Amino acid sequence: MTFLQPALLAALPLAALPVVIHLIHLYRRRQVKWAAMMFLRMAQRMNKGLSRLRQILILALRVLAVAAIIFVVTRPLAGGWLGLTGGAPDTVLVLLDRSASMEQKNTATGVSKRAAGLSNLAKAIKDAVGTRSRLVLIDSALGKPVDLGKADDLTSLPQTEATDTEADMPGLMQAALDYITTNKSGRTDVWVLSDLQQSDWEPSDGRWGTLRSAFLTMQGVRFHLLCYPQPAQDDLGVTIDHVTRHETSDKAELQLDLRITRHVDKPQPLEVPLRFVINGVATTMKVTIKENDLVMQALSIPISKTVKRGWGRVELPDDAWAGNNVFYFVFDEPPAMHSAIVSDDEAESGPLNAALSAAADPSRKYVTTLLSARRAAEIPWEDTALIVWQAPLPKPGDAIARQLSDHVAAGRTILFLPPESPDNTRIFGLGWASWKDESHDKPRNVEWWRNDSDLLANTRDGSALQVGSLEISRFCGIEGDGVPLARVAGGLGPLLMRSLDRGGNVYFLGTLPGPGSSSLARDGVVMFALLHRALNEGATSLGKAQQRFASANALGADPSKWKPVEQKASLPLRAGVVASGDNLIALNRPPGEDQPQVLSMPALDELFAGLDFHVLTNTLEDGHTLTNEVWRTFLLAMAVALLGEALLCMPGKREVPVVKSSMGAAAEK
Amino acid sequence: MAGDRRSFLEPAVLARLMALPLHARHAMLGSVSGKHRSPVRGSSLEFAQYRKYVPGDDTRRLDWRTWGRSDRFYIKEFEADTNLRICLLIDTSGSMGYGPAGATRLDYARRLAGTLAYLAAQQGDAVGLWSLAEKPLEIQARRGATHLGLVLDQMAGIEPVGGTTLLTALHDAAEKIRQRALVVVLSDLFVPPAELKSAVQHLRFRKHDIAMFHLLDQKEIDFDFDRPARFIDMEGGEAVMADPSLIARNYRIAVKQYMEEMNELVRTTGIDYHLVKLHERYEDVLVRFLLGRIPNRKGR
Repeated sequence: MTFLQPALLAALPLAALPVVIHLIHLYRRRQVKWAAMMFLRMAQRMNKGLSRLRQILILALRVLAVAAIIFVVTRPLAGGWLGLTGGAPDTVLVLLDRSASMEQKNTATGVSKRAAGLSNLAKAIKDAVGTRSRLVLIDSALGKPVDLGKADDLTSLPQTEATDTEADMPGLMQAALDYITTNKSGRTDVWVLSDLQQSDWEPSDGRWGTLRSAFLTMQGVRFHLLCYPQPAQDDLGVTIDHVTRHETSDKAELQLDLRITRHVDKPQPLEVPLRFVINGVATTMKVTIKENDLVMQALSIPISKTVKRGWGRVELPDDAWAGNNVFYFVFDEPPAMHSAIVSDDEAESGPLNAALSAAADPSRKYVTTLLSARRAAEIPWEDTALIVWQAPLPKPGDAIARQLSDHVAAGRTILFLPPESPDNTRIFGLGWASWKDESHDKPRNVEWWRNDSDLLANTRDGSALQVGSLEISRFCGIEGDGVPLARVAGGLGPLLMRSLDRGGNVYFLGTLPGPGSSSLARDGVVMFALLHRALNEGATSLGKAQQRFASANALGADPSKWKPVEQKASLPLRAGVVASGDNLIALNRPPGEDQPQVLSMPALDELFAGLDFHVLTNTLEDGHTLTNEVWRTFLLAMAVALLGEALLCMPGKREVPVVKSSMGAAAEK
Repeated sequence: MAGDRRSFLEPAVLARLMALPLHARHAMLGSVSGKHRSPVRGSSLEFAQYRKYVPGDDTRRLDWRTWGRSDRFYIKEFEADTNLRICLLIDTSGSMGYGPAGATRLDYARRLAGTLAYLAAQQGDAVGLWSLAEKPLEIQARRGATHLGLVLDQMAGIEPVGGTTLLTALHDAAEKIRQRALVVVLSDLFVPPAELKSAVQHLRFRKHDIAMFHLLDQKEIDFDFDRPARFIDMEGGEAVMADPSLIARNYRIAVKQYMEEMNELVRTTGIDYHLVKLHERYEDVLVRFLLGRIPNRKGR
């Protein structure tokens, strides 16, 4: 049994109050000088057994009544037969986290978190409310409310099957709010089944505050969070960051940036077989993972020179989470790397143009279009992977702003550089502050940069970019919410920032490459790496072979034109490869699903602060049924105890004194 | 001073009760002539019986008329009237102090005993006083106003203390009261009736006429309490904590059993028993007592 207000259990010793009062009463009761002790002692002798039993029963019932009151206010939750005694809400709303990480399994039983949670939930709902409540399911993959006829449907509906998607938990909560508001669902129990993965819950998301405020205004909405936060044991996961096809005069090969991860406290070397299947042909290699991460950059897999395009997957042996043991990829002849520079300042656009036109990959063609701000609309939107925008930010609502937004939504990249006259316009949540001219002083350096990922990450061989030796003479502040990737020394603020706008690759760089502003152009290497990484990011959505993350919208508005290359169902929610004509798309779980971080209980408490909620943390090994609020049972117990106590305290039927007649008889004699 | 000490005597009540004689229910062996029957034949005007003359009889008592009619000698016997010896046995154990100050059970007993003593003395009977307590007081029955004064003064001075010694005191009294007497017991009789019966039979064996005033408060019969209380034994015993709501029923059963046993005692010993509730007027109790003792002429 658990309690919604467990702190109030501290009041449980108050249950002994009747006993204490009884004892006090015993020693402080009034004194009566009594002569007829003979009768009193006789009565006590006659009464001894039953009287004591009665007194003990009365005390026990009083203690029970007080304890029951305390239990009522602590709002107990119980499953099983006790749970049956709880009241039924009007609506039971099940919010199901169908993210890929919910497929982590108990290796002993082979049951996933999702399956175990659904099974428990179905049983609990069946036990607790039966068919008395309206049962509605909203799953994270589709986000649509589905009416369920019975609780058992939870384990059989396609809407509750496994996916390789991520879960937008604030979005799911918003869907619940919309449902409750639209349908006026009355007293509603919202059951949330999730593994509390931080990337899904996004506790920093601004929507949580709004949701909390909205739910606070509602009466009768209770949240039950059924959580499975335990990570899978000894789980290995594989991801591929980039796949490129290289061809030389004598051979062709696929170069994969591959990463194998695990999350153990004391990593021991482990040899794992890695199986590659490319266009249906399998090869296996063994690798040894010594730490928690094994990164293999540009791993070469030889292919036939005649194979220009195709698909494949990399597989690890089965473990507690089969979902992250496979990663799909597609490849094709690489498209030309189109970039566009929008700038009116030739001194600045020159170095940029030179860097972007230089081939980072000799097998690919690099094309850069240089446009002035007035001609920005002429950007070849379809082919451009990266736009470098060194011009005033477009106003929201402008046609060019919408085009830029579409560009980002299509998976392409924009790098914003500060204009000479920044204004307070914002785009993608970020904007420019004012220039800070440091030319008269000693140039500033970069004091910190993120070297584990993103544009300034270390190189493939692990060596760091020489970001620290950059000299910043002029610096333009960046305003808004974003992820800082580099910071200028002296507390001037972030030099490079990534927008938090979901799914977009939008960067703001707070200086210019020209010699008047920084040493970016002079040193060249950092700028080259930065620009080409941004270009490569944008280029992933170019061409006829694309990598995407599994989601309901992954295949666009008309997913029916896409056919799986293997016989796999549930696309686009499951990982796999789909084809439509010449186009290939590899669908995989989003990278956030591989992150082991889960929401802490304090963070969860903060998200639901002020709301009526309780958390049930189950492990996969739990076979317990779920719980229902059973305070009514304790209220009933209290009433029964008080009634019993009243009956026991009720004075017996008053007898007509027989003394008078006896006396009379005696007197007559 | 004497008047204060004898405040338990109410002149108005005495005046009213003077009209009622105090009779013994059995023949008494008094020392002087009085109003009460004697077991010996005497010279009163009350005819008792004829019996045949035997040599040695006083010839003055021959009934010559009967001789004249029947030519046989008969002695005509008359009842002998003698005075009454009344012994007032007052229980002075701690339980007699029950009741509000000035209206305790002992006060009530004192009123009854004092009034009876006065009435008896007024009709020329001898009055004695015995207190049934750990420190016994024994005043043998004597006649006279001075002796009455002594009895009343002693009566005024007794206090309810200590445990009950009723049974031993009754046995003691049975042994010590020399001649037939009217033994008036005034007590709460909180003793087992079977043991009391033994003491009463002892008194009866000594040919005493026994009157018993059983003084009880209505509360002691009904046990009419509404709240639990600590009942402290007035005779120095331990305290008993009791919840009347739990115990009252059995208390009344105990009282009922006790009273049934008392009935049996009264029935088998033939004592003059009076259950007196302390809220009753003692004058009424005495009227009932005195009227009950007026002899039935036919039955005599």
